[in-house]
Amino acid sequence: MANNRGKSAIIGIGEVPTGRHSDQGAISFALESALMAISDAGIDKSEIDFVIPTGSLFSSQFSNELATCRLVEELGLKNVTSNCEVFSGGSSSTNALRVASALIETGRARSILFVHTDKLGTGVSAQGGIDLFSTAGISMEWEVPYGQHYSTVAALATQRYQYETGTTDEQLSAVCVSNRKWAELNPNAFFRTPLTIEEVMNSKMLSTPLRAKQSNMLFDGGAAYVVTSGARARDLVERPAYVLGEGGLVTHFAYHQEPDLTRFGWAQAGRQAFEEAGITPGDIDVAEIYDSYPIYQLIAFEEIGLCARGEAGALHMSGATAPGGTMPTTTDGGMLSKGHIGAGGSVSLLVEAVRQVMGKAGERQVPDCRFAVETAVGGTYMDAQVTVLGAEIP
Amino acid sequence: MTPNDVRPAKPVPVVAPWARPFWDAAREGRLILQHCEDCDRVIHYPRMVCPHCSSTKLDWRAASGRGTIYSFTVVQSNAPSAFAGDVPYVVAVIRLAEGVQMLSNIVECDHDELFCDQEVEVVFEHLDEEFTLPKFRPVR
Ligand SMILES: [Zn+2]
Repeated sequence: MANNRGKSAIIGIGEVPTGRHSDQGAISFALESALMAISDAGIDKSEIDFVIPTGSLFSSQFSNELATCRLVEELGLKNVTSNCEVFSGGSSSTNALRVASALIETGRARSILFVHTDKLGTGVSAQGGIDLFSTAGISMEWEVPYGQHYSTVAALATQRYQYETGTTDEQLSAVCVSNRKWAELNPNAFFRTPLTIEEVMNSKMLSTPLRAKQSNMLFDGGAAYVVTSGARARDLVERPAYVLGEGGLVTHFAYHQEPDLTRFGWAQAGRQAFEEAGITPGDIDVAEIYDSYPIYQLIAFEEIGLCARGEAGALHMSGATAPGGTMPTTTDGGMLSKGHIGAGGSVSLLVEAVRQVMGKAGERQVPDCRFAVETAVGGTYMDAQVTVLGAEIP
Repeated sequence: MTPNDVRPAKPVPVVAPWARPFWDAAREGRLILQHCEDCDRVIHYPRMVCPHCSSTKLDWRAASGRGTIYSFTVVQSNAPSAFAGDVPYVVAVIRLAEGVQMLSNIVECDHDELFCDQEVEVVFEHLDEEFTLPKFRPVR
């Protein structure tokens, strides 16, 4: 594979607070985020020549409007050659960045705007959310008839992982506590009050061994970013977030086809990304790990090489991943505390990785943050995606 | 009207044309698995072409009906609407003796005594006139 280290960069980000905004349409989150990202990038909107929206899950009508150029018209963009949706569920952030980087590297586009918005908090009912995620990305022939849904999917991985590694319920709950500590510092997060391991352990059992406070909750929100070439980036902003390396591996569609529910495709995805970036996991200053459930944060953390197999639980218990720790992890609070907004789960994490690298993370800022790794994955954890960003090109 | 009356019907398998023999056999209480004549591998779930060698020479073989629990979970709350009346129920990934995995439910068991790698055997549960689902129970 060609090495494209630093040939593209993210130069602007925008994000609205995660929440329940029943009085606002999803379009407003999209437009606000997009305008913030363009302004942050220090360019005029007329310079945007390519727009990549991703899908919204709450409404197929609205999602189709995004696919058919509504954002371009609403924003008054006059020089857009293509509006092209890139959607792969929870990995949409990374896949869109991959497409954007390729377009930049080939000269096909110069300034690309990516936008995500969804309204899963107030656009669907609580049971509607459960039912949506009992079919979205789940095999209608081989799994839906058995009552599979996202709690069981996460629980199946958790059960086997605990069986193989001896990781405890307390250690899994410590992931929620660590992410909450970051959310307490994030004005865009929904859950900002302190959380204890006991509270997590005493919350309602959903699907053994998975408890309610180990589950993400669905909200409304939106975010956007602007991508340009690495060469142009340094003229536009003080501290661009260079795209240093990318890796991925698709391992299944139907969840039961996954050969290893305790590993997925992260190891190979991580190796590819770090190799292209020219750094090692030991060089990482901040890790933004996909955390729809604590099990996925532990597995990805280990498999991409941030610690050895079976040790991530103890590391989260020790405080190493929390504010002030040696490996700050999921510093926006993640889906567990900032809130899950569909494909936006990983968009938040990518935007936060950029924020940290650009030095704009406020109270959450990791000192001297040179290198960040971000993970994203869609559906039932079918396509492990890893991105390495940096403030410099090694 | 009771909540039971408004609960949606159980979802039935949306069948791919080449998988029809699997469901026909299940209705007769038989578990069969697809097999590739060219590379001699067992395939599940059924495919249009062999996922290993792309051969279209695929036939069907009787399965042992035995396997182990790769992982399992007991659903206790927040189930999909159609399954709300079944709580608690067990979802599991089964590793069949033939070397393939399938998703199913574990039935006829004490939920507290299930464990990973436990041996299980197939049983058949009538869903409607068209569909019978292969499920599993611990080997006694
Ligand atoms: Zn074959």
